[in-house]
Amino acid sequence: MRWLVSRTAPVVLALVVGAVVVATTHANPLDAYAALVQGAFGSLEAVSETLAQTTVFIFAGAGLAIAFRAGLFNIGAEGQLVAGALCAAVAGAQLHFPAPIEVVVCVLAGAGGGAIWASIAGILRARYGASEVITTIMLNYIAALGANFLVAGPLRGSAFAPETAAIDPAAMLPPLVPGTRLTIAFPFAIVSAIALWWWLGRSVAGFELRTVGSSERVARYAGISVPRAIMRAMALSGALAGLGGACEVLALFHRFNAQLSPGYGFTSIAVALLARSNPLGVIASGLFFGVLQNGALSMQAQAGISKDLIAIIEGLIILFVSARWIGARLSVRHGGQDAPATEQLAS
Amino acid sequence: MKIDASLVVTIAAIAVVKSTPLVYAGLGGVLSENAGVVNIGLEGIMAAGAFSAVVASFYTHELLLALLGAVVAGAAFGLVLAYFAIAQRADQIIVGMALNVLGIGGAAFGLSAVFGQPGASPEVTSFSIVSGHDPVSILERYALIWIALLLVFTLQIFLYRTKIGVHVRAVGEAPHAAMAAGIDVMRIRYVATIAGGVLAALGGAYLSIGEVDLYSDGMVAGRGFIALAAVIFGRWTPFGVAAACLFFGLFSSLQIALQRADVPAQLLEMLPYILTIIALAGLVGRTRAPAADGVPFQP
Repeated sequence: MRWLVSRTAPVVLALVVGAVVVATTHANPLDAYAALVQGAFGSLEAVSETLAQTTVFIFAGAGLAIAFRAGLFNIGAEGQLVAGALCAAVAGAQLHFPAPIEVVVCVLAGAGGGAIWASIAGILRARYGASEVITTIMLNYIAALGANFLVAGPLRGSAFAPETAAIDPAAMLPPLVPGTRLTIAFPFAIVSAIALWWWLGRSVAGFELRTVGSSERVARYAGISVPRAIMRAMALSGALAGLGGACEVLALFHRFNAQLSPGYGFTSIAVALLARSNPLGVIASGLFFGVLQNGALSMQAQAGISKDLIAIIEGLIILFVSARWIGARLSVRHGGQDAPATEQLAS
Repeated sequence: MKIDASLVVTIAAIAVVKSTPLVYAGLGGVLSENAGVVNIGLEGIMAAGAFSAVVASFYTHELLLALLGAVVAGAAFGLVLAYFAIAQRADQIIVGMALNVLGIGGAAFGLSAVFGQPGASPEVTSFSIVSGHDPVSILERYALIWIALLLVFTLQIFLYRTKIGVHVRAVGEAPHAAMAAGIDVMRIRYVATIAGGVLAALGGAYLSIGEVDLYSDGMVAGRGFIALAAVIFGRWTPFGVAAACLFFGLFSSLQIALQRADVPAQLLEMLPYILTIIALAGLVGRTRAPAADGVPFQP
């Protein structure tokens, strides 16, 4: 019971404060939330779209959960997602293999792109002690600007807009439910999250990663290579974000452009935090944010409440998750109650 | 491209204009981080400040009250950060992220709620209404730039030449020693964090009612994070941060000047971020934050 309260309290509180915000605009909060739920679950198409939108949150959120458990505050999922999406889009447009191989190659390209982008921060942290908080923030902007530059010039594949060429039909993920955008990417995301949960809890590498996350000193005494664990965690975290980006391209957009992600990587931070950095929990919290994301438009259309309300709810959830008075206080660095990841900030 | 004296002056002038919002936010970061509270929410606070200034200006048509609107928003955000970071001993990075989402999302929501139009606010009274070329007009028209300049020196003197300033730095370096010396660690952290929020919000107000006369979505455009970079690049001192901001402002300026040359804008825009990473990796000398920066204080 206490577990349930501590896990749901940030959401409930955020929804209550969100309702107050809606009420100040002389609208009925219940109508707003009803329209949101209706928009997310009202029909088979709506449910399919909600699950399609959930996919990226599960991938990127599970990746962030891994980094957080290693005591690494990876703020760079957005940049890693962009890197993965761009790599997958380029692979999909340039390579021409038979269907199953093409998809696998594109997915791997996405994971690889994200992993490499995250590894820049991982190596800088492991070798030079550069705070991953700051480097990943900076890498987000470098990725966004770099991608803008590439799709405006060297990689431009469309006469009408700055975007890459469309990917091969062989690289496109077919819909699971005909007429919707729900593809195999969604079950793939769930399987990935479960696999990560198993890996984190049962494998030697996962144990090493968690040990480094609780205390680098203990990890060193136990003979664990801390730099290796850090680099592995960052690479894995980035690979998952890259997978999320790749699936956006392969399942939904079929090409890369700068509007591909309206901050999914940032929302995924909230996803991972709400799940207390547990990859299994990410499935549930990812679904919650998928519902918000997909329901927001019909809330705006039917209840007349700006879809930007969900950003406020998201911010409040992040804020409340950090608070001590809501169940067990979360520290990114597990076990280190008063040694948050920021301790090493730029030292 | 012909390079003459007037072009150099223009580039320098634009650099000052472009660096001003960074200076405000950067000084805000310097103040709170010297007291031991990391503020990665500068971006969101700038958005909140920019939006609040526009709302206040819309209803009052008074520039001073518009600035007051930004100050109130900045203080409120600073208070939230202070409460969670200090009283709750929450992870400051998480709280900062929350402030970013709340500031940007709140301003976007506010555009619909207050003005009934998403995307951008209507035009409001701004510093551009002060026309004329007499000294007083020029002083008033660019008041926010002069104030920024003044703040740089004031804060440098405050932190390094006054007793309270030394107390602030003591709290950021060695809070337990500071407490043993009779300094009220909590109070100093609260005040520094709130004041830091106010400064960042003023940087936002500069963007909305100083440079232009409205708030639009995406207006802050990463400046809060560049300011964060400037704090590191400037090694946590007001002079250093101001220099870093000017340096970054120069890049924005060159970008405008080189628009017709064959230098892709995105690559120039990237430079502050790349340089910060290089600085953090210790490739250009050591960067060292205040020792207790980001560490919750437990008496």
